[in-house]
Amino acid sequence: MASHSESIIREPLITGRDITYAQITNEVLNPVENKPNKAWWIGFTVASMGALLWVVAISYTFWFGLGAWGLNKTVGWAWDITGFVWWVGIGHAGTLISAVLLLFRQNWRNSINRSAEAMTIFAVICAATYIVAHMGRPWLAYFTLPLPNQYVLWVNWNSALMMDVFAISTYFSVSLVFWYTGLLPDIASIRDRATGLRRRIYSVMSFGWTGSVKTWQRFETVSLILAGISTPLVLSVHTIVSFDFATSLEPGWHTTIFPPYFVAGAIFSGFAMVQTLLLVTRKVLGLENYITMFHIESMNKIIMLTGSIVGVAYITEFFIAWYSGVEYEQYAFINRATGPYWWAYWSMMSCNVISPQLFWSSKLRRSIKFSWFLSIIVNIGMWFERFVIIVTSLHRDYIPSSWVMFYPTWVDVGVFIGSIGLFFTMFLLFIRVLPSVAMAEVKLLLKTSSEQAKKKLILEGHLEPAEVQHYKESLVKFDSIDMSDYEKI
Amino acid sequence: MDSNKKYWKGLEELNRTPEFVEKNRHEFAEPIPIEEVLSGGGLSAKTPRRDFLKALGFGVGAVTLAACQKVPVHKSIPYLVKPEEITPGIANYYSSTYEGSAILVKTREGRPIKVEGNPGDLLSKGGLSAQAQASVLELYDNSRAQGPLLNGTATGWPQLDKFVKDELAAIKAGGKKISLVTSTVHSPSTLAVIADFITAFPTASHVTYDAVSYTGIIQANKNSFGKAVVPHYNFDKAKVIVSFGADFLGTWISGEEFTTQYVQNRNSKALEEKKDMSRHIQFESGMSLTGTNADVRLPIKPSEDGLAIINLYNALNPAGALPGAKKLTNANADKAIILAAKELQKAGAGKALVVSGSNDVSVQTVVNAINSLLGSYGSTIDLDNPSRQYAGNDTDWLQFVADAKSGAVDAVFFLDANPVYDFYIAKDIEAALSKVRLKVTFSDRADETAALCNVVAPNHHYLESWGDDSAVEGYYTIVQPTINPVNNTRQAEESLLVWSDNAVKSYYTYLRNNWDKNLLAKGGLSGQKGWEALLQKGFINATAVTPGTYNFTLSLGGVAQTILNNSSKVTASGDGGFELQVYQTPAMRDGKKANNPWLQELPDPVSKVTWDNFAAMSPADVKKMGLDEFQVISIKGANGYSVDLPVLSQPGQAVGSISVAVGYGRTAAGLVGNNVGKNAYPFYNLLSGTFQTVSAVTVAKTSTIFPLSQTQTHHSFEGRNVIREATLVEYQKDPAAGSGKEGEHEGFYDLWENSPHDKPVYDWVMAIDLNACTGCGACVVACSAENNIPVVGKDEVGRRREMHWIRIDRYYSYEQNGDAKTDGRTGMVTKEKDIDKLVNFDNVTVVHQPMLCQHCDHAPCETVCPVLATTHSSEGLNMMAYNRCVGTRYCANNCPYKVRRFNWFNYWNDSRFDNYLSNEHTQLVLNPDVTTRFRGVMEKCSMCVQRIQAGKLKAKIEKRPLADGEVKVACQQTCSANAIVFGNRNDPNSEVSKALKSERTYYVLEELNVKPGIGYQVKVRNTLSELQA
Repeated sequence: MASHSESIIREPLITGRDITYAQITNEVLNPVENKPNKAWWIGFTVASMGALLWVVAISYTFWFGLGAWGLNKTVGWAWDITGFVWWVGIGHAGTLISAVLLLFRQNWRNSINRSAEAMTIFAVICAATYIVAHMGRPWLAYFTLPLPNQYVLWVNWNSALMMDVFAISTYFSVSLVFWYTGLLPDIASIRDRATGLRRRIYSVMSFGWTGSVKTWQRFETVSLILAGISTPLVLSVHTIVSFDFATSLEPGWHTTIFPPYFVAGAIFSGFAMVQTLLLVTRKVLGLENYITMFHIESMNKIIMLTGSIVGVAYITEFFIAWYSGVEYEQYAFINRATGPYWWAYWSMMSCNVISPQLFWSSKLRRSIKFSWFLSIIVNIGMWFERFVIIVTSLHRDYIPSSWVMFYPTWVDVGVFIGSIGLFFTMFLLFIRVLPSVAMAEVKLLLKTSSEQAKKKLILEGHLEPAEVQHYKESLVKFDSIDMSDYEKI
Repeated sequence: MDSNKKYWKGLEELNRTPEFVEKNRHEFAEPIPIEEVLSGGGLSAKTPRRDFLKALGFGVGAVTLAACQKVPVHKSIPYLVKPEEITPGIANYYSSTYEGSAILVKTREGRPIKVEGNPGDLLSKGGLSAQAQASVLELYDNSRAQGPLLNGTATGWPQLDKFVKDELAAIKAGGKKISLVTSTVHSPSTLAVIADFITAFPTASHVTYDAVSYTGIIQANKNSFGKAVVPHYNFDKAKVIVSFGADFLGTWISGEEFTTQYVQNRNSKALEEKKDMSRHIQFESGMSLTGTNADVRLPIKPSEDGLAIINLYNALNPAGALPGAKKLTNANADKAIILAAKELQKAGAGKALVVSGSNDVSVQTVVNAINSLLGSYGSTIDLDNPSRQYAGNDTDWLQFVADAKSGAVDAVFFLDANPVYDFYIAKDIEAALSKVRLKVTFSDRADETAALCNVVAPNHHYLESWGDDSAVEGYYTIVQPTINPVNNTRQAEESLLVWSDNAVKSYYTYLRNNWDKNLLAKGGLSGQKGWEALLQKGFINATAVTPGTYNFTLSLGGVAQTILNNSSKVTASGDGGFELQVYQTPAMRDGKKANNPWLQELPDPVSKVTWDNFAAMSPADVKKMGLDEFQVISIKGANGYSVDLPVLSQPGQAVGSISVAVGYGRTAAGLVGNNVGKNAYPFYNLLSGTFQTVSAVTVAKTSTIFPLSQTQTHHSFEGRNVIREATLVEYQKDPAAGSGKEGEHEGFYDLWENSPHDKPVYDWVMAIDLNACTGCGACVVACSAENNIPVVGKDEVGRRREMHWIRIDRYYSYEQNGDAKTDGRTGMVTKEKDIDKLVNFDNVTVVHQPMLCQHCDHAPCETVCPVLATTHSSEGLNMMAYNRCVGTRYCANNCPYKVRRFNWFNYWNDSRFDNYLSNEHTQLVLNPDVTTRFRGVMEKCSMCVQRIQAGKLKAKIEKRPLADGEVKVACQQTCSANAIVFGNRNDPNSEVSKALKSERTYYVLEELNVKPGIGYQVKVRNTLSELQA
């Protein structure tokens, strides 16, 4: 965006020698314009098998009824709502990256926002399937919409589930518009390079993008407006999801800390999922120059921060349970840590609170393998967090005669594993047909924030040597920079 | 009005050309070439390819279109001649009788759909047991015999009659014995039919065989007082009750009647009026329903039952102490015997009652001696208006088996008896029957005995029958049919009349004659009018004889020795040796109703197990043997019979003993009851000529786990004030003791203070007296029948998905022993983690709490439903609109009482639940006023809103206000203990308003400010403080 030179002490956002606009286009569009490689096929096969499992499990549920799941009279939600909240949480990183970071002029977002937004959309789709699937009579899902009807039936605006319907649908539609708007210039690029039928398809999809100054100006304005609309959504969506629990009477759910705690948790899991996806995509698609160590480290820092917030929230909950003096609340929390589901609680604690603290070590933070491993751990931990909140609160609440255990069935597991398959199927198709990095936005950074631009500045020699030295030291961590280039200068 | 305008269609018409006139003479203006087509080449002409395709296309298209919509065929057959008494939509009630209790049968459009107690009934005053409530379902049982069978093949009644009569004639000529084996018959007319039959066949005799026998009591009374009867007990007159293993609130003689009597000295009214209650001390080995209600309950080994009674006798009568007395294994029980003796004496003459569940004549003789010492005869025990409920004679029956085995019996008729299943040596009965020439059973199904009979002459269901009954001397009830026979069955009495060539062949006429001649007069009735009055009222009650007092005068020396000898025979010894006691559960009783899914799914009041029996063992023994929950053990009896049963750790079970319920393990009960559990009858023991329920067995572990389906898996209340209790002493000091009213309360805040729910006329609420509720579970079945609650089966209950709208929560708590910590509020060990540290599980106290939708005024379920499917009525009811429900289950999650039930499957129409109620025939039992719920819909207690509505409409039609007590909800109606009061809180004079004003009233989880509509009254126990000291 900014056309002036950036301070030399900032780390480069694009690495590599002699990168040109054309090269960026070529590299990013490589998977879109060519036949997929073997790695993609393997991934796609596995993912679509998962999606098939999802179809089977969901169909089984619809055919026989919700009894196919392990739920019972006391535990009315378990893997379904756990999965729902997990996916919604994952979806959060996309909006945060695309909207909040845009408003804060965090240019490093340009390389990762496209994939993160796509991830958001696919995650929200997965979450939405749970909303419908968990209903006893999914064919009446439209009852939850305030549709005028001759029975003069209306919906209950007091219910958090009602708010949820609106939160999720708003979030999905805004995210989709924002994502697609950002895609327009890139789709136009594909259109311009394509021939035949592909050209015609991309031509329609590009909405007649001309690339004129006016178009760009409007594009920028729309992006900012959408960012403005999306920003409150980052906070509101998971706040409302947390209302599903916070507005209830259930010990362990009825907690005012839930909104901030859920939002932090959502960002935590969202960034972890971005890491999971991009660390692989970067390698497989050869995008090391655009998604650099700087991005990885930044995201790890966010994971560490939000993980710590979540940890503080866990401890606060315990403190408040004790401080409230309410025996049901106290029992609910003691039961989480020491009851029959202690293993779920301690999985959550070690995955979400302890493991992100390892990122205080810069060595671990910059290790790609470790980052990827930890991103998986965090997502496991966040699944357990929702499981702990939902199942261990429900299974032993007020009346001890109704205390039960919950045991999942193969269908529960199938729907969840299947939804992961569905998600990856959609993501893998996405990287085949649309650019996984926002080319236009990355190109904006080439002249200012790239390694080659900075190298040029150094060679021009008007910079403070100390600052240059600092800059050079910061480059050591990058796996995509050949430090031999800097030996002479 | 004529018009002078003329319309014409063409110039030809206007001009009326000759051609036009000619053409217009015919129907069709243009000639139609019909002739041409029919003659000539028309028919034989080749159809051109294109025309053929056109015709084919049109034809196929038209047929396809026509076939698209399947035209549904709804057969609705109106009454061509409407029966005068039937108005569609209006229920008719007919008086009848169930096992001696007067009942009312509710019929709708000619179908009996519900059985209700007759409020005038002498026995249970309008209450009914779970079995009675469930009996209506048996009418629609698919497994009932469709018609008579001769040698296993279907036949007609005339053929069957001919065969039986020919056989009987031959047998009569042969002169060998004919036996009529029945379970206890207390119908005077049936007994008369049997007597007539015996007159017709002089070699015939009537053998009364009860699977669960009371011969011990009858014989002991015969020996002691010369009266071979089961006496009529009056628990209401007893201030102190000591029971040795008699489950008198459940299965012993007349459970419902004793419940009504028992609670009279213990319920709210008694506490408030007399500031006192009776004291009930129970000594038993397995935890029975009665044991759970006792103020003091002590586990004793089954073999020491007789010894304990001897010890009590000695404590009461030290001068005439019996020899051979020694201390009991349970030292606490020993102490309790002495205290019980003191209590009994303190109660005063005629105010104490000692009962024993034993079938041992010697034991019952000592019990008679004790009661005589206490002056019970003439007051708490009435020998002059005896009970007729059990008259089984073990000796007669054994004699029959011996005779049959020796070939001395040529014909046997089984009425309501199924010895092949419930006789303890099945081999003997099989051998015996193989020697009998004519074997007839009146069983309503092809049961175990029917399989060995050559004639099956299926009896009517009692709702299809005429009949009468007399459960207690002087009390006569009538049985009248409420529906035409469903299957090709015939009443057993009628069969006997036909086969014995009685002058009267119709049982109805026979019955009328008998009543006209002998019985109507007893009720001061006569003639047709009297008969009609009887049919309306359902019973007559002759003035009871004033019971006389009886003194026990026999010498007890030999009796005591017999008791000790018998005791040593059942004392277990050695490794894996246990004393096994078989017992009846209130749901399944003797197993005759094993094919009733409502009863199979009714949780056992103590163990909360459904669909199975099990081996109940003391937690200490379970620990000692290293058994896991539900681990299967192999139990081997002295006679070599062995079963594999899962273990259930039962607090209060005497150490060294095992209890197993009879009534399970049927192999030919029908689709529902077959192979549910294991048969425990073979563990019966024949001692001193009567069947005893105790035997010594050896137990071996197996490695299998057989999960039982319990509706409750957590058994302690964790010190929560959901359960509030007090002792009588505390109550006498402060009537509000334990109710939680002692402390100061902060004011409650109200989120809805600006939009309050107005309840202008009615505010339906309920009061439940925890001191009256015995936990029997009859309400659960009554609710299932009234509200069309599906039966879901063992697997679904195991997944914790039972659908009952009302449940009885049963909690155990313990007196402190070992290191375990007691709870500050209750002074008992109530927390799971503390209970785990206990070493002794003997001192357990039990509380039952009926739990159902509380109809909260600030209902948490209502605010969270996204589609407003559950809302509040202007009468204080929390309602469900099933059609609006999308099944998010948020309401159930948010319900603090966990009383909402979700239809996980389409229980009413899913082939996997065919065994239960999902077939067209059985579904005739459904209450048409209540819809069945589809899969994916939430349901819960509606406070029988259909009954409220019916009551309101009736009052409106009669232009009067609804009276208090006019509308009774199903659970309330069937409760013999009257533990449930339902009514309008807006009426300050209503029963429920008064009950809720009691100091003992508390609301479960009232601190949540959900404003529940059901008030509970604190459980008060008349504990023996000296025992704890």
